[in-house]
Amino acid sequence: MSSRFTGSTGTSLIGGTETRTTRSIPALLIPIILVGAALALVPLWLGDSRVLMGVAVLGLAFFCYVIGFNVIFGSTGQLFLCVGALAGVGGFGATILADNAGWPILLSIIAATLAATLIGGLLSYVAVIRSLGVIFTGIVTLIFSLSFDALLLGLSHLTGGDTGRLIKSGSDTFLRERLPPYYLMLGLALVFLLIHGLLRRSHIGWAFRALRDDEIAAELAGVDVARYRVYGALIGAAMLGLAGSTYALTEGRISPTTFGFGHVDVVVMVMLAFGGIGTLFGPIVGAITFTIVDEILIDFGQLRQVAYGILVIILFLWMPRGVIPSAASLWRRISRQVKA
Amino acid sequence: MTANILDGIVLGLQFGLLAAGLTLIYGLGGVLNLAHGQIAVTSAMTVAFAIDAGVPVVLAVGLGLLAGGFFGLLLDLTILRPVYRLRGEARVLLSLLLTLGVSFIVDGYLNWRYPLKTLNIYIGGGAIDILGVPMRRGSLVASAITLLTITGLFVFFRSTSLGRAIRSVIEDEAGARLIGIDPKQMLRLILVLSGVLAALVAVTRSMVAPVDTQSGLSITVFALIVTVVGGLGNVIGALLAGIILGIVNVVAADLIGSYISLILLLVAAAVTILIRPAGLLGVKE
Repeated sequence: MSSRFTGSTGTSLIGGTETRTTRSIPALLIPIILVGAALALVPLWLGDSRVLMGVAVLGLAFFCYVIGFNVIFGSTGQLFLCVGALAGVGGFGATILADNAGWPILLSIIAATLAATLIGGLLSYVAVIRSLGVIFTGIVTLIFSLSFDALLLGLSHLTGGDTGRLIKSGSDTFLRERLPPYYLMLGLALVFLLIHGLLRRSHIGWAFRALRDDEIAAELAGVDVARYRVYGALIGAAMLGLAGSTYALTEGRISPTTFGFGHVDVVVMVMLAFGGIGTLFGPIVGAITFTIVDEILIDFGQLRQVAYGILVIILFLWMPRGVIPSAASLWRRISRQVKA
Repeated sequence: MTANILDGIVLGLQFGLLAAGLTLIYGLGGVLNLAHGQIAVTSAMTVAFAIDAGVPVVLAVGLGLLAGGFFGLLLDLTILRPVYRLRGEARVLLSLLLTLGVSFIVDGYLNWRYPLKTLNIYIGGGAIDILGVPMRRGSLVASAITLLTITGLFVFFRSTSLGRAIRSVIEDEAGARLIGIDPKQMLRLILVLSGVLAALVAVTRSMVAPVDTQSGLSITVFALIVTVVGGLGNVIGALLAGIILGIVNVVAADLIGSYISLILLLVAAAVTILIRPAGLLGVKE
């Protein structure tokens, strides 16, 4: 009965529509270096203001989240509605290990990232084993998000409950100075971008594209769809955990909202949809645009949520491939007509 | 303990009714409506403002039900139109994303404009003993209305030709079309019906505890979980899952405290999905 609606695969909404990727290393490296160079100059412009630098660091954290989500959803079509929760496993995990258990900062970041990776991999493995479709994967991961949120509120002696907690570790190091956190997060984001770029041109990226376009055909062609789905989730979740823990330690203060569903997942989804699901550079466009939009909307309070709702509808209704790909194809059409 | 179980059943029946609306829409049209809780909250606010304006309670409730039905109709006429053009998973996914957008707009607007508004219908009179347990009159009226609605739904789906037509579309859309049933009209009807049901749940809920503008998301999430546990497209499964999860929720909240009970509820739902993806009463295809 319900299989009427869950049977087919291969749509423009699930995963991107990009068909080719560049094989040459310079063609991959040069744009990444250019992006890095441009973003490295941002402190020249905002560097005097602590508040604006904080916004910029948060924007970079979101940049990292969007890349992680892009690897999971854009590349392998698994709707993970627990981006914030996985980042939160990293953030709260690293904080608790460093502050309460007294572990060295680097070690606690690694351990928390590992935990997020394992949870992401496990969620994906379970979804793959039970062959849950996009919708059920979404619901199971949403349930994980909600449980994680309830756990954070419940274990208030560790997490500080609703109000969150201050992080003592790292408060006397470069992590809390004005400029280093920005470059740390930027470095992380560029590394993620590079990893995603290298992934796309490797045999894993080839398998990702195959299973995204047509799962059954990929399976018939000898791609181990289950295995590559789990790979995608492991890599993406590791990115989310690492970004979440690094952001927490530079920010110095986290609360359940820092990693909440409405605060992270929805924004990440809008950013990715805006930039183009499955594309390599879509996350940058989305993250920069919405960091700025968010800053503009900050005075509007709850109306900000209304704006996001409207944006979600507009984006998915008229530009499901992303604003940049849509604009690019429109530009091509126009220029072809001009020539003709 | 008995008191808890009774409370759980009251809550569970309401969950079940919410989920019945969701599950019918999914079974009929492959649409997952994430604005379901927001329909309930919008209707509750309609009732609250009508009562403030001096409208008698019963009439105000009627207005609320109308508002719920109208919201459902509005979804069908506007945002779901492009969804109907798609097939398969893309259809479910697009409906989910678009209605999530709608829920954000409603939540954001209500929290911005009326952050402190609540609906609380107070039913006077003392407690009444049921199975030796004193039950508040409000929750008794709420369960009576809920039970009556459920009975009404059953009669509608079993014995009226319209109800049978709707069931035939769920069973076999192509077959239904062959005998002259228009699935699109049935879907529109069900969206209106599910809106009315959501409004009804909001009203009966407000007889037990206040319904505020922030409850939309949690109502949607509970309805979604109950729907999935009951089996997508299965009304009886939804009711059964509602009662079971309602009892689990109330009993666990009493025995071990509320945040673990929420986690338990969520884990129970996740395990059910993993063991029986087709739902409690689902048949493997």
